Amino acid sequence: MGNSKYLGLYLLAPAGVFVFLFFLAPVILTAVFGFTNMSTATGISGGSYVASQSSMLALRDRYGLDDISEQLTTVRYTIDEEGLAAALEAGADPATVNELGDTFLGQSYETRRDVERAIKTLNARPSSVRAIKAIAGQFERSVANTRYETEDEILGAIAEFGIELTETESAAIIDVTYTGWVFTTQNFKTMFSLPDTKKTMINTLFYVFTTLILFNVGFALVLAISTHYMDSGPAGFFRSVWLLPRITPPVLYVLMWKWLAWDSGFLSVMLEPLGFEPRNWMLDSPTNAWTFIILINGMVGASMGMLIFSSAIKAIPEALFHASEVDGATRRQQIWHIIMPQLRWPILFITSYQTLSLLTSFEYILLATDGGPGGATEVWALTTYLKALSNYGGALQYGYGAALSLVLVVIGITLSLIYLKVFNFKDLTAKPKIE
Amino acid sequence: MSGNYRKWPMIVFLSILTGPIILMYIYLFVDTVTNTPPGSMVPNEFTLEHWRFLTETIPGRPSIWLATWNTFVFASVTTVIVLVVSSAAGYSLSRLQLPARSFFLGSIMVLHAFPTVTLLIAIFLILQMLGLYNSLSGVILVKISLELPFGIWIMKGFYDTVSWEIEMAGIQDGATRFQVWTKLVLPNVKPAIMALGIFSFLAGWSEFILPLVLAPDNKVQVLSVYLAALIADDNNFDMALFKSVGVFYVLPVIILFIFFQNKLMNIYSGGNKG
Repeated sequence: MGNSKYLGLYLLAPAGVFVFLFFLAPVILTAVFGFTNMSTATGISGGSYVASQSSMLALRDRYGLDDISEQLTTVRYTIDEEGLAAALEAGADPATVNELGDTFLGQSYETRRDVERAIKTLNARPSSVRAIKAIAGQFERSVANTRYETEDEILGAIAEFGIELTETESAAIIDVTYTGWVFTTQNFKTMFSLPDTKKTMINTLFYVFTTLILFNVGFALVLAISTHYMDSGPAGFFRSVWLLPRITPPVLYVLMWKWLAWDSGFLSVMLEPLGFEPRNWMLDSPTNAWTFIILINGMVGASMGMLIFSSAIKAIPEALFHASEVDGATRRQQIWHIIMPQLRWPILFITSYQTLSLLTSFEYILLATDGGPGGATEVWALTTYLKALSNYGGALQYGYGAALSLVLVVIGITLSLIYLKVFNFKDLTAKPKIE
Repeated sequence: MSGNYRKWPMIVFLSILTGPIILMYIYLFVDTVTNTPPGSMVPNEFTLEHWRFLTETIPGRPSIWLATWNTFVFASVTTVIVLVVSSAAGYSLSRLQLPARSFFLGSIMVLHAFPTVTLLIAIFLILQMLGLYNSLSGVILVKISLELPFGIWIMKGFYDTVSWEIEMAGIQDGATRFQVWTKLVLPNVKPAIMALGIFSFLAGWSEFILPLVLAPDNKVQVLSVYLAALIADDNNFDMALFKSVGVFYVLPVIILFIFFQNKLMNIYSGGNKG
């Protein structure tokens, strides 16, 4: 079968390319980005070198190089070609500028007053004081706040300025003035030290397990078992209705809940005669917000358990039910002794599968409360999104966001590997029968 | 079955629980063609004014038809490529001799269970670096990749149910494995391809987070992002308009769901069996 020896690999290759590019590469890059300080401020490609105010502050705080930072920010006045050209551009008399260049080119002054004095000695000096000041201003030179593209450029500029640096001082300056992203473990230190992290974690655990127990498993069982005791007509109807939340696009599904909850929506109108003020019931209090979040997610989640449990119940031989009825079993006994034992594996499967998807999903929360009111419903995955990809909070912190999602990625991989072990991997990998 | 128990208590019980959902869906449709006086839930007049967005573009938003076209392109291109790639890869994993086969199978399973949204930031940065940010092709590539593990897994499962005898017979008659796959096996899994196709199309049509993050621009906006932006705009709060856009957006989904309900139920439950 020589011609089909590699067929398997050829057929697998396209999938491999896709999965590698946008699945495996992102996993690795999440880990890499998690150890950087990448943000909209640093950009995602390289950066340049600027002795900005904040970098000078860092030079003092982190390296204790107070005098160097002072020298770097010192302003000097140097008569150079660049300044002369700028003066011409700004509308100074060409005669003045030419004479200034001929006489003083290359001269340096400590203060602006010194430059003005030099200009006043010229034959072609301007008559107004303001014009003199304007020309003098063109020669103001400082390393600070100029953008240099490379390390050598900024160090060269500093040397030209007459500041001598030792090697450690140069390294320190390069470090603090670089505007691009650098590798750092700061994200994880921040994560562990912020009190918000702990709150988000508690929120996440609460959200995952409440939704899971009440709806994804609990209510799914109710649906599967109660439809089992119906004729196929109504059973099919209820199953279809409960699939609706899953197939409705999330944006629209959440919109319907908003309609239910908003301040002139269904709940407000219905409850007003009973003496409740109309209000936005969803964002009214943290308790209400959580109730809605769990209902919204739970109603979507219940359908998957319902389908899987239903098909497991269908697999039970009917004779078992009939025999138990002849023996006088009540419905409760039937559920408890015949149905439930059959559902052990499906329940375990739903629990493990849905834990992972609840842990990482934030779509419905984002649409419903956006973490509100006041961050009360912010879960880990949502924080990740808000920090790195939503611009409400100012700069987008890609690095910090990646560090936050790295936590989820690690949990995700670990749990998936465990599931692989638990759910009979060997059975699924039986060898092909041809070849 | 179980004829000895009364059925109506179960029906009443479940009807009460199902009520709110049915109510929300009924009002979703009713509110798009009626006006309701404030403080009441009973509509008092019929109107088509909430559907004006079909003919006039809402200020600051792209035309609804552009968004619809984008959504269609996004969902259908994704579906076609997912179908082609995963039926090939699924066959390979199900039937062909592969080096490191169990490694590939294991990876697909892990990727299938793995929550893809956690990769969003890295994917966002990759698209920025590749220059595919804010383009439909970029977000399509990403959606395909994230959908593939599921598609491959489903297809592998369906190939597993095709009898070996068909293939053996084909090989006996001198066909190559490739011919056996395209001529004999593929026709046998047509229902599976159909089901996966509908599933992928619906998944693409409903997708929100990926286009929101990767292609939010007006020119490439899809309906989900369009609707979300409309709702988020505090200056023009108009619930009936939102609902009308929502109904317009969900119609293809409902139609597909009504026609292919059983196929979808199959894939929603069967597909996820680990």
